[in-house]
Amino acid sequence: MGTATGIIRALNSGIKHLAVKRFTLRYPEEKLKFVGDGYQFDPSTGVGIAGLKGRHMLFHDHCTGCQLCSIACEGVAEAIAMVKVPEDQKQNKKSIMPQIDYGKCVFCGLCVDACPFYALYMTNDYELSSFSKEGLIYTPAQLQVKPFVSQDSEIQITDRGASHG
Amino acid sequence: MTAELPPGLALQKVDERIMTLNVGPQHPGSGHMRLIVQIDGDYIVACDPDPGYVHRGEEKMAEYRNYILNIPHLERPVIHDSCNVLYPYVLGVEELLGIEVPERAKYVRVIASELNRCIYTMYWLAIYGIFLGHSTMFMWPAGDRELLIDLMEKMTGARVTHAYFVPGGVRNDLPPNFEDVCLRQVNYFEKRIKEYADIFYDNPILISRTRDTGVLSRQDAIRLGTTGSVLRASGVDFDLRKKEPYDVYDELDFKTNVLKEGDSYARSKIPWLDMLESCQIIRQALKKMPKSGSVRVKLKPNPKGKLDSVYKRVESGRGSLGCYIVSDGKPEPYRLKMSVGSFRNLIALPYLLKGEKLGNMPSVYWSLNYWPVEADR
Repeated sequence: MGTATGIIRALNSGIKHLAVKRFTLRYPEEKLKFVGDGYQFDPSTGVGIAGLKGRHMLFHDHCTGCQLCSIACEGVAEAIAMVKVPEDQKQNKKSIMPQIDYGKCVFCGLCVDACPFYALYMTNDYELSSFSKEGLIYTPAQLQVKPFVSQDSEIQITDRGASHG
Repeated sequence: MTAELPPGLALQKVDERIMTLNVGPQHPGSGHMRLIVQIDGDYIVACDPDPGYVHRGEEKMAEYRNYILNIPHLERPVIHDSCNVLYPYVLGVEELLGIEVPERAKYVRVIASELNRCIYTMYWLAIYGIFLGHSTMFMWPAGDRELLIDLMEKMTGARVTHAYFVPGGVRNDLPPNFEDVCLRQVNYFEKRIKEYADIFYDNPILISRTRDTGVLSRQDAIRLGTTGSVLRASGVDFDLRKKEPYDVYDELDFKTNVLKEGDSYARSKIPWLDMLESCQIIRQALKKMPKSGSVRVKLKPNPKGKLDSVYKRVESGRGSLGCYIVSDGKPEPYRLKMSVGSFRNLIALPYLLKGEKLGNMPSVYWSLNYWPVEADR
């Protein structure tokens, strides 16, 4: 193949892309859709359930304050601290529950694997930015809230290329 | 300046014609490393690679954590290839703990590993494009990589650093309807990367810049101990997926890509050909995978390894990646050593750059498939 033919073919390949759909996602307006409600774990079978590893969700009625999540996190990120919950919100005997520092968390999900009481799951919420370091520390009361997520964009493949439809 | 020097020290003799140039350590490519290059006019006389700026002590850290908690930090050296970098560790621990992995988990691992190899290679290709000043070749792979990242995100729950492989299988089963989505996106991905031939690999401008630069002969490639795409570009047929099949690679049909030239162009083409093979492997694995079954063996907490040592290696995106684990019967490994492809390929760089033009340095350096963070561990 001659040099001129090669360059023309390269240019032609680029020009063809004028007709291809835009692949990028306009992020704050459109958000990616994820499978499921976030990463969960079933201690009876020892297998997880697929989902995004985002912000945690804590079920106060299941948490016994056993500290297994905190022990698991010690070897990874040291993000989980066990804190005293107020007397009126007391659910378990020890009245301690995990508090997660998202400035340190690496979202590996090993704390979810460690929980034997179905108390700690992960959700699809990944927008955790804050103006201060203290804002990244989520108390047990904040972790109890189920996040509101509206995520609907999925990759769609058509004759004119792939796009986030 | 004669007699004041302390004993044992001597001034370096400086040639008037030679200039010493520091390339780096601020990100010459990806990650911090430095090349000390001596140039005579436009030609490189000598090159001294200086890695070690991103040493993280992964091997020492592994001695203080149990076999499960080692997973998140051991995949940090190469976050884009995190399944493959964890693979030898997981295989080794399984042998130490005496676990038999379910059949479905083996297939899921192969799919995850091949998807990750493509993700890594696309990232590498994007940077290779921008090193050569070809910005289209930066945009396209960076965009098409998203197709596979989306698959990994559905599979593992994270876009990079998946923490997906564990001793005993994988952490979670595939989401419902994953096979169809995977097949559709991998097919489209394959169609897309075939288009790169016109704009990049058959492009006369690229060929004129990379042909016959940094030639590594077959003998030198073996003598220097290079691995992966560098070795295969020099005409040595060596792929651990073929030579020492792990998990289910012996049941899958694929070929090893070998080129004879050993120059920068051949080294950049091998990963691209490998990606096309990876698409074949993923399609076959999806077809042959058992449709149901467990994907993880339940382990007791803090499993203890037997008194033994084990060495396992896999073919990663950058070549052979080995993991040597010594166990003394405790929940933590006594010693863990990683043998990585990046460091072995870097050894070839001084030989390749001697006599080259300085302008060819980026293309030769990045064609070695070198990842600084992995080399320093």
